[in-house]
Amino acid sequence: MTGWKRQAALACVATCVMALSAPVFADGTPAGTVIENTATISFDLGGTPTTLTSNTASVTVVERIDVSVSLQTAQRLVTAGSSDQPLLYTIVNTGNGTETFQLSVNSAVGGDDFDPTPSATSIYFDTDASGDFNAGDVAYSPGSNDPVLAADASVAVFILNDIPGSATNGQRGLSELIVTAATGSGAPGTVFAGQGDGGVDAVVGATTATVTLAGEYLVSDVLLTINKSQQVTDPFGGSEPVPGATITYSIVVEVTAGTATGSIVRDAIPAFTTYVSNSLLLNTGALSDAVDADEGELDTSGAPTIVVRLGDLTSTDGVQTIEFQVVID
Amino acid sequence: MKSEKTLWILLAVLTFGSANAQQEGTLDVQTTVEKVQVSTNAAGEEVTELVPAETVVPGERVIYTTSFRNTGSDPADNVVITNPISENLLYVEGSAFGPGLELEFSVDGGQTFAAAESLTVIEGDAERSATPDDYTHIRWSMPGSLDTGAQGIVRFSAILK
Repeated sequence: MTGWKRQAALACVATCVMALSAPVFADGTPAGTVIENTATISFDLGGTPTTLTSNTASVTVVERIDVSVSLQTAQRLVTAGSSDQPLLYTIVNTGNGTETFQLSVNSAVGGDDFDPTPSATSIYFDTDASGDFNAGDVAYSPGSNDPVLAADASVAVFILNDIPGSATNGQRGLSELIVTAATGSGAPGTVFAGQGDGGVDAVVGATTATVTLAGEYLVSDVLLTINKSQQVTDPFGGSEPVPGATITYSIVVEVTAGTATGSIVRDAIPAFTTYVSNSLLLNTGALSDAVDADEGELDTSGAPTIVVRLGDLTSTDGVQTIEFQVVID
Repeated sequence: MKSEKTLWILLAVLTFGSANAQQEGTLDVQTTVEKVQVSTNAAGEEVTELVPAETVVPGERVIYTTSFRNTGSDPADNVVITNPISENLLYVEGSAFGPGLELEFSVDGGQTFAAAESLTVIEGDAERSATPDDYTHIRWSMPGSLDTGAQGIVRFSAILK
């Protein structure tokens, strides 16, 4: 062995064989790409410059199958006995080739208080990308419209469950979406020969090419929503929030299930603003600022706060709208 | 012992393949691409070896080796070996191997070369230090001469983006 070779071999033990690491790149090199390398060597032979090229070493990028699944809303409030309650998921093809994914639902999950019942058609695409389950969304039918996703592409789907009538307030029920690559899944490194894009091999990546992710239903006897919005009117006919401008606040309360007993809305007047006297309205009817027999007042015992008593609210009461105005100091 | 096994494998790697690029009175130069394969043998021991890389997946590391030998009858002077680094590959910092050779990189498609620490790139209006992601070529220069029958190897690792 020449000194050159010995030195090379020994140094190589230390430098060339290192632990394999697998950094994640946002965009993987597309499956089927051929990467070629040709070395060039130049030298002088007896004073004559010469350049030679080596053979070309080539390596083919094969398909790595990976998938990631996330929940848009980890928990959904529901009432006992309700039907077709949706959980929204996003599925992302994190591999480097085009892949078909198969979907299924499992609601017999341990670790919860009750088992939801998958609806007769339990998976829909969020076809209109609204984030809400509605009439325009297309049902998923296994084997006929399995989502086909290009590398880095995503699709949003709902899973639907019915909530048993026997479930009680505060109970939790879990339901899982299972997403599996159609080419195959298994331990990372599992090879599906010739089944990648363009006939290259497909190799299972770190995600095992299948993901199971549970969402949660929480039973609540009362479902109440509250939303606040604002509109600014400046003294010059525009909508700039300048000193002297008026802000009209609108608070909308709605009960969609159960009875919200003794509902009271409290809203503090914002700092650097002054309440406009006698501007308090409930469902467009005026309420006096004084503490008296009507449903609302301006409570000045501490920081000025709007108080409106809505009483016992049910879905039959419909939307309750509270309005008041402030002026920017 | 793992290190002994590794040494044997690497010695095997150092043996040259067919001399199809050999030219009379010149140099023989060969390039291979390999990857590290870890497996378990019949005795349940972990075996690390370099195997030819025919395929690769994003995130995987490949090792390029260029071997050269003076097959002529005269010594060669000013020997310079240049390898491209594909845009799909990320050079692994510190992986370049070439004992006794001067190491330089290019960030402009092989037009100019400099030591890694003195390379810069223009990004927008600002100049910044080059990172491995900027490298387009790697180059080794041999001081002195390569005698008749003498040989050497250079090597670097890269990760598929």
